[in-house]
Amino acid sequence: MFWDAVWIVSAMESATNNEAQIPLAQAVEPIAGVTGTQPAESSSFWRTPVAWFRSRTIEQRILSGFSLVFVSVLVISAISYWNTSILVANGRLDARSHELVQLLSEIAEAMDETENNHRRYLVTGDELYLRDYRSVVKQKPMFFKYLEDLTEGSSEQRQRVGLLNQMIDRQLAAEADAITKLADGGFEAVKKMALEGFGKEDIGKIHEIVAEMEWYERQAMSLRVMESAAGTTNTIILLGIGALLQFVLLASVYYLIQCDITERRLVAEELQRRGELLEAANKELESFSYSVSHDLRAPLRHIDGYASLLRKAVADSLNDKAARYLETISASAKQMGQLIDDLLVFSRMGRQEMLHTTVDLHQLVNTVLYDLRLDLQGREISWTIEKLPEVPGDAAMLRQVFMNVIANAVKFTSARPVANIAIGVDRRTDEEVVVFVRDNGVGFDMQYASKLFGVFQRLHRVDEFEGTGIGLANVRRIVHRHGGRTWAEGATDQGATFYIALPTGEIGS
Amino acid sequence: MTGTKPILLAEDNPRDAELALAAMEEQNISDKVVVCQDGAEVLDYLYCRGAFKSRLKGNPVVVFLDLKMPKVTGLEVLRTIKADANLRSIPVVMLTSSREERDLRESYALGANAYVVKPVEFHQFVSAVKELGAFWGVINEPPPEVSRPEK
Repeated sequence: MFWDAVWIVSAMESATNNEAQIPLAQAVEPIAGVTGTQPAESSSFWRTPVAWFRSRTIEQRILSGFSLVFVSVLVISAISYWNTSILVANGRLDARSHELVQLLSEIAEAMDETENNHRRYLVTGDELYLRDYRSVVKQKPMFFKYLEDLTEGSSEQRQRVGLLNQMIDRQLAAEADAITKLADGGFEAVKKMALEGFGKEDIGKIHEIVAEMEWYERQAMSLRVMESAAGTTNTIILLGIGALLQFVLLASVYYLIQCDITERRLVAEELQRRGELLEAANKELESFSYSVSHDLRAPLRHIDGYASLLRKAVADSLNDKAARYLETISASAKQMGQLIDDLLVFSRMGRQEMLHTTVDLHQLVNTVLYDLRLDLQGREISWTIEKLPEVPGDAAMLRQVFMNVIANAVKFTSARPVANIAIGVDRRTDEEVVVFVRDNGVGFDMQYASKLFGVFQRLHRVDEFEGTGIGLANVRRIVHRHGGRTWAEGATDQGATFYIALPTGEIGS
Repeated sequence: MTGTKPILLAEDNPRDAELALAAMEEQNISDKVVVCQDGAEVLDYLYCRGAFKSRLKGNPVVVFLDLKMPKVTGLEVLRTIKADANLRSIPVVMLTSSREERDLRESYALGANAYVVKPVEFHQFVSAVKELGAFWGVINEPPPEVSRPEK
């Protein structure tokens, strides 16, 4: 038990250090010194439980600490109970021994008395003196029954009781013989007996046996006293060690909990600090995008405005070349305005709070098609739209997703006499639903598939297809915020398929 | 009637002001426009103080307010106007580059009468300013406190 405590303490010392092996060894070495065994053997012996302990979670560590306390309490209680039982049993045995000693001395006394009175009877013939003898003869079986009870469990003493019984029988038999002789032959017949006392030897023997038994009992008693004293001392020491051990264990558990609380507090503080930093960064970003939206637009407006004013001012003398230059200036300004707007949308999509509702994708796609109706004018497109499911999410954001993907499909099939665009559910699992948008447009080379969803990534030249290269980046950002995935498959000139996997359960961010 | 119904244009950027004036010129209302280059000037005009101490009494027919201006911002000017019993009735149109939801919400919360985002494209900008000038300067009947010629 004591070593358990040492291991806990050593484990805890090492647990608080984050470096792996060195503190472990440091924690183990001093213990090796204390135990006095060979250090190498000891450290490898401790390493296993220490390593085990270090691999546990804080809850498991605390639980194992409390378990050890509980086990130690149980063991100490059991041992104390055992020692106390021995004390109680010894007390009972002592009482029996005392009784036995008392009884033996009574028997010895009674035998002496009987013998003396018997002698007086032989001399005087007075029947009164036979009273003791008769009562002894009468009570003897009862006494011996009692003796046997008191010596139960000790064969040595039992043997002596048997011997004593024999001797007393012999003594009483001799006394009975003398009484008969006195009755038959008168005083003369027993004179020698009466004067000398008879069966002196037997009485002596009886005293010897009684003394032996007494000695034996006293010996046993003193042994028991020693045993009880040792048991009591052991119990006290055990209780002391137990209390110390429990104190150490509980202190260790307290230390563990304290460490954990401190750690948690630090983590919470760190989290709060980071949260504040993040909030500050977010605020900064917000004011940045505000400035972008306000300040960057103004010069563009001026470029376009003054180009127009210039065109008007020199309208009469403007040749075709100069007119094209002015046109390009205006177009570039407009394009940059579009870029700014798209970037702002992209940045807003990243920080805007999501409104969680249930979105009917089917209805959403129909709305998108309605919004795109101007782009669809003059185009021949064969639409195949399957029934789409409902998903949890932000309706406005998801609308942006499908707007981008469907507008892309429309845009990249513009060279086809008849465009085929299919929208449907690719597959459905318990966790997510995968919607696809497939077209027969210009497609893309699969080796660039990874670039598709990057910001400002374009796989086509500006004069082929217009666009800022932010649409699909926005798609990915929004889908990720919904906890979903996006990917695309395609081949050059063989169309493309865009996949949008959206979770059907609750959304995280 | 010309000159009797001033339009107040608060615009810190002279180029923007010039472009706006060019647009209003097409509507023949440019001579009614008073240009202030910051919010403080707008308040000076409205309260007839500073450079505008000796101007004709009366409120402008409409105030076109840019949001981001030096000294006093558009929103602060708006707050002052809408908090003053004598000025509250002046129509205020926010004319700004910002499309930020926060600006929109705050402007309307403070009592803006309209919110127009300046289009980047000049043609759209011109048509927007022309329409605004025509509507607020000509079509719309201003509240009675508007400046009258004092003879």
